[in-house]
Amino acid sequence: MFTRPFRFERADRLAQACDLLREHGEGAKVIAGGQSLMPLVNLGLVQPEVVIDISRADARRDVSVADGFVTVGALITHARLAADPVAARAQPLLGAAAAKIGNARVRARGTLGGSLAHSDPAAELPLVMVALGGVYEITDGRRSREVKAEEFHLGFLTSQLAEDELVVAARVPALGPGWGWSFQEVSRRDGDFALAAAAALVRMAGGGVVESRVAVGGVADRPVRLANVEISLGGAAAAELGSRVGPLNGIRPVSDTGASAGYRAHLARVLVERALAEAASRSGEAA
Amino acid sequence: MTEEVSLTLTVNGREVSRTAGAHLTLLRWLREAAGVTDPKYGCGEGICGACTVLVDGQPTSACLVLAAQVDGAAVTTAAGLLEADGSLGPLQRAFHDQHAAQCGFCTPGMLMAAAAALAGGRRLSRREIRQELHGNLCRCTGYGPIVDAIEMAQEEAGQ
Amino acid sequence: MTAAAGIRTSKEDELRIVRQPLPRHDQAEKVAGSTRYAGDLAFASMLHARLVRSPVPSARITARDASAALAVPGVVSVLFGEDVPHNLIWVDVPGQTVEVAALKASMEVLATDRVRFHGEPVALVIAETEEALAEACDLVSVDYEELPTVFEPDQALAEGAPLVHVAGNLLGEWDIDRGDVDAAFAAADVVVEGTYQTQTVDHAYLESEVGVGWLDDEGVLTLRVATQVVEHYRDVARILGIPEARVRVIAPYVGGGFGGKEDMTVEPYLGLAVWRTRRPVRMQWTRQESLLARPKRHRMRLRYRTAADSGGKLLGQEIDITADSGAYAYLSALVLLYSAVHACGPYQVSNVRLRARCAYTNNPPTSAFRGFGGMQVVFGYEAQMDLLARELGLTPAEIRKRNALTRGDALPVGQMIETEVLLAQTIDAVVDRAGAKPQPSGPRKAVGRGLASNMQSYGRLVWLNDSAAAWVGFQLDGSLSVRCAVPDIGGGQASSLAQIASEVLGVPMDRITVHFGDSALNPLAGTTTATRQLLMSGNAVYEASVLLRDGLLAAAAEALGEPADGLRLEDGLVSGRAGGGMSLPDALVTCRRRNVPIEALGTFFGPKGQPVVKSLQADRVFPDFTFGTHLCDLEVDLDTGQVELLGYVAAHDVGRAINPRSVQGQISGAVAQGLGMALLEEIVMADGMNLTAGFFQYLIPTATDVPEIDVVVLESGEGMGPFGARGIGEPPIGPPAAAVASAIQDAIGVRPATLPITPERVLDCLGEDLSPGTVT
Repeated sequence: MFTRPFRFERADRLAQACDLLREHGEGAKVIAGGQSLMPLVNLGLVQPEVVIDISRADARRDVSVADGFVTVGALITHARLAADPVAARAQPLLGAAAAKIGNARVRARGTLGGSLAHSDPAAELPLVMVALGGVYEITDGRRSREVKAEEFHLGFLTSQLAEDELVVAARVPALGPGWGWSFQEVSRRDGDFALAAAAALVRMAGGGVVESRVAVGGVADRPVRLANVEISLGGAAAAELGSRVGPLNGIRPVSDTGASAGYRAHLARVLVERALAEAASRSGEAA
Repeated sequence: MTEEVSLTLTVNGREVSRTAGAHLTLLRWLREAAGVTDPKYGCGEGICGACTVLVDGQPTSACLVLAAQVDGAAVTTAAGLLEADGSLGPLQRAFHDQHAAQCGFCTPGMLMAAAAALAGGRRLSRREIRQELHGNLCRCTGYGPIVDAIEMAQEEAGQ
Repeated sequence: MTAAAGIRTSKEDELRIVRQPLPRHDQAEKVAGSTRYAGDLAFASMLHARLVRSPVPSARITARDASAALAVPGVVSVLFGEDVPHNLIWVDVPGQTVEVAALKASMEVLATDRVRFHGEPVALVIAETEEALAEACDLVSVDYEELPTVFEPDQALAEGAPLVHVAGNLLGEWDIDRGDVDAAFAAADVVVEGTYQTQTVDHAYLESEVGVGWLDDEGVLTLRVATQVVEHYRDVARILGIPEARVRVIAPYVGGGFGGKEDMTVEPYLGLAVWRTRRPVRMQWTRQESLLARPKRHRMRLRYRTAADSGGKLLGQEIDITADSGAYAYLSALVLLYSAVHACGPYQVSNVRLRARCAYTNNPPTSAFRGFGGMQVVFGYEAQMDLLARELGLTPAEIRKRNALTRGDALPVGQMIETEVLLAQTIDAVVDRAGAKPQPSGPRKAVGRGLASNMQSYGRLVWLNDSAAAWVGFQLDGSLSVRCAVPDIGGGQASSLAQIASEVLGVPMDRITVHFGDSALNPLAGTTTATRQLLMSGNAVYEASVLLRDGLLAAAAEALGEPADGLRLEDGLVSGRAGGGMSLPDALVTCRRRNVPIEALGTFFGPKGQPVVKSLQADRVFPDFTFGTHLCDLEVDLDTGQVELLGYVAAHDVGRAINPRSVQGQISGAVAQGLGMALLEEIVMADGMNLTAGFFQYLIPTATDVPEIDVVVLESGEGMGPFGARGIGEPPIGPPAAAVASAIQDAIGVRPATLPITPERVLDCLGEDLSPGTVT
């Protein structure tokens, strides 16, 4: 309601948006879906001088598969990602996470790029990107660079993006043969931010775990890949998975009005066990 | 000096052209510039759903999108569900018959969420209807009558 | 016996309009989106107003400077407390009451010297645009020298606590002493004890506080605001130092009230802004302001000791209630009185010692909220009943039936129950309707079933001399106008009046217009609170309609040469037994020829009683009560503590359901609100700072949090309202938290004693005892 006026610029291409960011400096904000930016603007917590709209830019918003990798354009909405048949076949973890975001309105406009850039520690898409070992393509309008998801998300609402950079696309491995996947989340109500979330991929062969990737969200200032858990799962049979999950190294949960740190840590463990169990059972299907 | 932009949106089938502040959300643009007051301010956070409208058929929190972003789009509000002669459309009649509005403040947004949910053409169970509506808060009805109304509407539509 | 105290019964089969589930006449506009709420009107050259609020919970104001704010283009005025002609709001039980010392409470419109809670209004900024306000409000400079704080009632009531108000931190105190409690406990076969804690809760109506004010052509200050009380025109007049007759409050359809729009919200600020600028002004509070600073529901600590004999009959209750009233009194003392009177629940008990106190703290103020103190205590007394049941090997249903009040019993406060009590029937109704308890959906899940009964008053405290008036008049074509200043907050208040008038006068619903919510143009009907409007304005319309009908039928009888008792008014006709009669327009002409009025003013006076004193004892405190029982089935996830509600049944005796769909809607909505308090909602304060001032943090139930609610409506036919109706707005909000706690105990063997019952709290309970509980 009580918003200070700002100027509006439409960018037809991402490069143009980057130029505008450089031109306007600190007072400029990029808007795509607006689902993260606009609440902050409406509450007066962010007061931009100019808002640069990329929602209609001629930029990638599709899903493509090549050479065992799935590439998703940053401007894809969560709704489209959740419903995309190519994504569903090639890497189901993506659509499963996107489907859990907010409600229909959030998903209709919110974008992959927006979510990744915003870097909320409890957000679904950064979590699956880290779990999958995703790589982001970043542009400043002149040059592109690639950053691993694990290195991109630096902390609470903080990413590696420079002030004139935008996310163009994200690339993740396709789900290979023998792999199963799972996405688990607990929130106070449907559609709320996760109190804790877990994403797991498991490849079973000969009745035991050959490879796994596990990450948790909402229990640190960024998604945490549980490398120590992955190591301890080696060779485990499906029935043993739960007992093999040792300490969750690297989590630093906080207490807030949604939940205490202790509860979040407890949830993370529960969800990791559930995710591993589900991923293991799915790995049988894919084999 | 407030920057103004000239926008043309089709609101409930009617072309509306206005020049207004570039910073206006679609909600404020509809209510203050276009005089369409059925979408409501409830929270400004995109959570309560009282500002739900359809933008090119998609359910949208009007408080979270800038009007300038959707220049040229077709916007539908609850008033846009009325028949040409001003009588209630089928979804509105269902809400009316099932007493789905008490204070009525959430109703315009709830109707649009329902319209979006039913647009898929698939028949939804009561549980699925609730899942489609969980982003629209109601403090008066306890939701049961709203679910009844949507069930009735999809029944009548032969979904 | 006056009509006020009379119990109205009617022959059900003769009622034609009442008891019909007719769509309410406001429904069509609401679903069309055309209803103009208080925030939907705009005027040319309209200004906007916004408050500057204290960022700290307790401080002395040492300096205030508006110069930077005034320099912002578009700013018209910045007002401080000194600019308010009478800078004091008396919250003196709004409506038409006389002052009672114990309940007088005051605060400033704009704080001058001292702030006492985070969010307290300090300045009013008026500008041409919201944009100018956005800039200017940040530039109003106020210096605060922080003062000591206190946030817990126990600490506030202790020696040496920082004083929130100079007169001390004890705001209100009520005692009930009845019989011989010590003897009862000495003789008891079983004594159970428990301490229960309820939390601070917000109304969270979808429409935030809002209104538009202007000076009309006569110079009358007119405020069109979202309110439950149009009588606040008197308070605005007093604040501005102008005659009450020069202020008018219009209440359009309100987007939810629940007691949160019972006290003034925007009214004094709008009034001030319009009075100063002589221009139309709009004020709307943001959701964040509303959650931050609007008065909330009192959080209470309830300590119960309950004594019973081996057969489960209650022998005595010893109860201690301590409530957090926040920084200003508002209606706190009255809320606490309700708690005291309701504290033993719908059960007969002869020996009671109760002490209830509410304390000032530097938390947000607390005031009215659906249930008004009578609902927090349900969490305590129902827990005790279940505890007793377990101790004695009785079922929850049995112990309640054994102790249920019946007509002729006296409440601990002394009031006798005069109407039929269908408590046992409501228990049977929910148990029958619920059927078999569901099975757990997996190995790490547990299912539980819980029961909770309650009573809640309807109608206001009798010594408040409550009354309501309504005018009913025919148009010459036989259509009907009803004028009554009742605010309609979504419970069908206005629509019910049309149904009542239609029933008596035989005019079809679509030929009746209800003009409501206008303090200048309609007879005053008092507050839409306390579940009183059906009783009060409903009876006023009934009285007026009966007067009108009798006069008209007498005149028609004379003209037709028939006895009046053979004539009926129905479907717009005066019909005689033998098939003769006349049209309504002809009957109206007949009336005018005979100087028989075709309009009537009805005034309904509520039951009266003596003012209450600290030691509560009265023959009558409230007009009457509504009784009910709820049953809840839920499943607990033993790993995460999450609770999924599987089913819910709510049964209440509503006396007579004027509009059954409205009744069901009220019950369903109240249950949802009660479930929110049970499982989700909490205003969280940390050192006086409100951490939950947004819908992101303050969680109200969504469509997936509320289960299918099965409503069973019982009609005893005995209630004080028209056609024997009882009030239903508040009663159903009481049982849900207790029913949920009871179900969780059934599932996991431990009963949560603190609200809200978060998954974490469930896990805490699981840490203590994992054995399943007794099946209902």
